[in-house]
Amino acid sequence: MQGKIADGILWCMSNQEGRRSQLLRGVLDLCLLAVMGEGPAYGYEMTKRLRGRGLSIVGEGSIYPLLGRLERDGLVETRRAASNGGPPRKYYSLSPEGEKELETGVSEWKATRDAVDGALGLVKAEVTP
Amino acid sequence: MSEFVAECRREWRRLGVPDPVANEMAADLSADLEEAEAEGGSPEDVLGNSAFDPRRFAASWAVARGVTNQPTVDDPPPWRRPVAIALTAILGVLTVGAALVLAVGFRSSSFAVASKSIRVFAPGTNRITLPGPLGPFVGPQITGAVHPVALVLLILGVLGLGLLAVVHWSPWSGYRRFDRPGDGRTRSWN
Repeated sequence: MQGKIADGILWCMSNQEGRRSQLLRGVLDLCLLAVMGEGPAYGYEMTKRLRGRGLSIVGEGSIYPLLGRLERDGLVETRRAASNGGPPRKYYSLSPEGEKELETGVSEWKATRDAVDGALGLVKAEVTP
Repeated sequence: MSEFVAECRREWRRLGVPDPVANEMAADLSADLEEAEAEGGSPEDVLGNSAFDPRRFAASWAVARGVTNQPTVDDPPPWRRPVAIALTAILGVLTVGAALVLAVGFRSSSFAVASKSIRVFAPGTNRITLPGPLGPFVGPQITGAVHPVALVLLILGVLGLGLLAVVHWSPWSGYRRFDRPGDGRTRSWN
């Protein structure tokens, strides 16, 4: 009996983790563009900024391929510069196209969030961090 | 350079990523990993689950940057999967069939597949004895006779399935994973 309960809890945690991952997948590029909007940043610095906002996304994957795609699509600009006492780093910042993409994406996200809230907002559930 | 970065470089070389681009990615990655380590963090803090799968990580980064047109480790030849499935099915049927024939053959000499039977154990004994590198292997005590074709098919089937398993999980068959605690899942955002 206890084993079944433990299995159920593990399944729920795994399922919850999977859903969170799926939800993030669609907006992570926007999150990266948003933290770049605070100022140019290199890869790990962006991870730390996201973590500082409560988004521990790297548990589910690396941001480097996504940064590569943003660069390939012309949504970010890069330059190599010395970091604080460390080796030169590649700094990413928003390109004009990236700024437009961010605006459009945030607008789409808010519309989607409101619609989903309309459907789920009445359900009483505790929010787990 | 960490083993992780070295493994990434090998994958980029395999994928034909131009050296300047590979050098740049390796330098960025090394710097980030060193910074995380200096802060008391781990590679997983920088790379997430990708920290345990350098080749997949390296390939996905190269593909995302558009610096390779080579098939990645995630793209096995299209014929490989159906051939592996077909071989496994054939060998599985062969093995189970031979095992059934042997099981029935011990009890009945009228089984249709093998009309003749032989004793493979030495005269005067009732155990199978096979030569081996560490001396003869003496099997369990049995009674009755063994169908030779079924026995050969069973051995071939088991060896074939074993070989398929070895090839499937060998380093030549795909990418190399680093060991990790937990469930071994690896995901990418792309």
